[in-house]
Amino acid sequence: MENINFVLPEIFISLSIMFLLIVGVFKKNSSSLIYSLSVITLIISLGLIINFPGKEEIYLFNDSYKIDELSILMKIITILSGIFVLVSSYNYTKLEKIFNIEYSILILCSILGMLVMISSYDLIVFYIGLELQSLSLYVLAAFNRNNIKSSEAGLKYFVLSALSSGLLLYGCSLIYGFSGSTNFSLIAENIFSSEYGNVFGLVFILAGLAFKISAVPFHMWAPDVYEGSPTSVTLFFAIVPKVAALTVFIRFLYVPFLSLIDQWQPIIIFLALASMIFGAVAAIGQKNLKRLIAYSSIGHMGYALAGLAVGTNSGIQNSIIYICIYLIMNLGIFCCLFMMKRNNKFYDNLDDLSGLSKNHPIISLSLLILLFSLAGIPPLAGFFAKFYIFISVIEQSMYFLAIVGLVSTVVSAFYYLRVIKIIYFDPPVEQYDQTKYLGLKISLALSTILMLLYFIYPSGLINLVSKINII
Amino acid sequence: MIAHSIFFYFFSLITIVSAIMVTVSKNTVHSVFFLILGFISVSCLFIMIGAEFLGMVMLIVYVGAVAVLFLFVVMMLNVAQQGNEIFQNSRYTHLPVGLIIGLIIFFELIIVVSGWKYKPDIISSNSINFDSNLTNTHSIGMVLYTEYIHLFQLSGMILLVAMVGAIVLTFKKRSGIKRQSYIEQISREKISGVSLVNVDSYKGVKIDD
Repeated sequence: MENINFVLPEIFISLSIMFLLIVGVFKKNSSSLIYSLSVITLIISLGLIINFPGKEEIYLFNDSYKIDELSILMKIITILSGIFVLVSSYNYTKLEKIFNIEYSILILCSILGMLVMISSYDLIVFYIGLELQSLSLYVLAAFNRNNIKSSEAGLKYFVLSALSSGLLLYGCSLIYGFSGSTNFSLIAENIFSSEYGNVFGLVFILAGLAFKISAVPFHMWAPDVYEGSPTSVTLFFAIVPKVAALTVFIRFLYVPFLSLIDQWQPIIIFLALASMIFGAVAAIGQKNLKRLIAYSSIGHMGYALAGLAVGTNSGIQNSIIYICIYLIMNLGIFCCLFMMKRNNKFYDNLDDLSGLSKNHPIISLSLLILLFSLAGIPPLAGFFAKFYIFISVIEQSMYFLAIVGLVSTVVSAFYYLRVIKIIYFDPPVEQYDQTKYLGLKISLALSTILMLLYFIYPSGLINLVSKINII
Repeated sequence: MIAHSIFFYFFSLITIVSAIMVTVSKNTVHSVFFLILGFISVSCLFIMIGAEFLGMVMLIVYVGAVAVLFLFVVMMLNVAQQGNEIFQNSRYTHLPVGLIIGLIIFFELIIVVSGWKYKPDIISSNSINFDSNLTNTHSIGMVLYTEYIHLFQLSGMILLVAMVGAIVLTFKKRSGIKRQSYIEQISREKISGVSLVNVDSYKGVKIDD
């Protein structure tokens, strides 16, 4: 029975999902109420996680569920970003007519799946969490079903993601067959690279996971899905599932597959290199801001994977720092997208940004800061994120990875700078509506200020992740 | 023992042949029927090794629900015709690439299978509590609701999400449709439903709905 205290956040979220569904069914026009109740649910579960009883490692349900520093930190990040996604996109969902009661409930469901994924210490638990998360995401991608692009995005994501889940499951079954257990620590004891089945299973699992974080060569779905889905869902896609998938990457690579490091290291290095190069090159010709963000997120995932490839604790920690900073930057960029509204219509092309600085100096300034940060220009936070990754890569003398990373940073700076040029030096388009919604303003201000002033107190984040020692 | 192996080879042969026929047969309806045949023979195999619960669940879930659903989809959408057209019109442009990748994976699988070693000591048979008096259903129930309770509940959440998702994506609120309202029907009073009209002779009554 005492186990229940440790999974209280998950239980709370699942009970609230059912409660909110019932409220939505029996109370007419309760979308707004349910939206705010879901935000409150997330805030309460955040409180439950922060006030977690006991700080040592805890194994639950026959060692299939693990709660440690890594999982607590990643759960906090996931729920916080979920809260900000809901708060900042309130106005957008209302105007785009996707303001059903199910919208926020599905977001809660996928966050529940992510929490399970983050804590999973067993192949079955991991797979169940993954399915819960991605099933909700399929529906969210196709949520605006009156829009043909949204339906296309949903279908595309569903088909490709189901395929990758199949690969992943096949890999899991091979690992189970050759090591004799689904539990991570038991797999770690019984896995040997001399048996090809283990390596084969490892490759399948990595391919499936790489699909979930859209690393090259499993990235094909990302631009279309990002462009087609409603912008609020794109924001959710761009930041929240990446945290959970990165945690699962860390868990898989450094617990059950640690003894296969010689086998997986080249794979991860290849994924990182290909994502960095592709993310930098393919984004150059894009005309749509959402597609551009999709390609840039592919590139950023490459840097996060580079941190994982080195096989040291500092590499893992720096990857986590990277993903934190990455999601704050993306939140800010999307807040600006939510503000580009004229006569109840939202605009997301690069041309619509033209001359934004004349009419909206504050939005342009925050876009400038965020884009510079994405490009990695000091002293903004994006620079430090890349800097930490490069330090841990060079410490292990993987110079090739570092050089390619630096070159692709320079290449990707081109398209970020082009956006800034469009904002500041092109002829202005018609003025956009003033935003009155406070949550959006606060989210944008918060992310911009955090990126701008990170260099004053960088040790806060570093201390937070320094407790995570996997190896 | 001989009868056992005869049945085993009989059902395995049916399984393999029907699995091949699922992919080979040109008519999609036939493929679905072969799929059902495959499921049935697999469930027979399950029953032969003493896993009667799994065999019956296989029959109920896969044959009873999934395969019949496939059949509905195939017949309703008329995929049988379209599929054939696509198959005939395409000039096999993707065939070489697919063939190469398929062959590579096939040979890799051969390496995997040939490298497989039987490990008798991975779990000692003494550690498994085996009670021959318990039925399959009973012993599955014993672990399902104790050791795997979290997975059981989470699977329930997945089904809930699937249900909500299906409703979100397909439900449309249509206007101008007269829906049945039970409460209104039941709570109708005599006063509102029946009215007494004095009819003038040779004039008739005007009824307005």
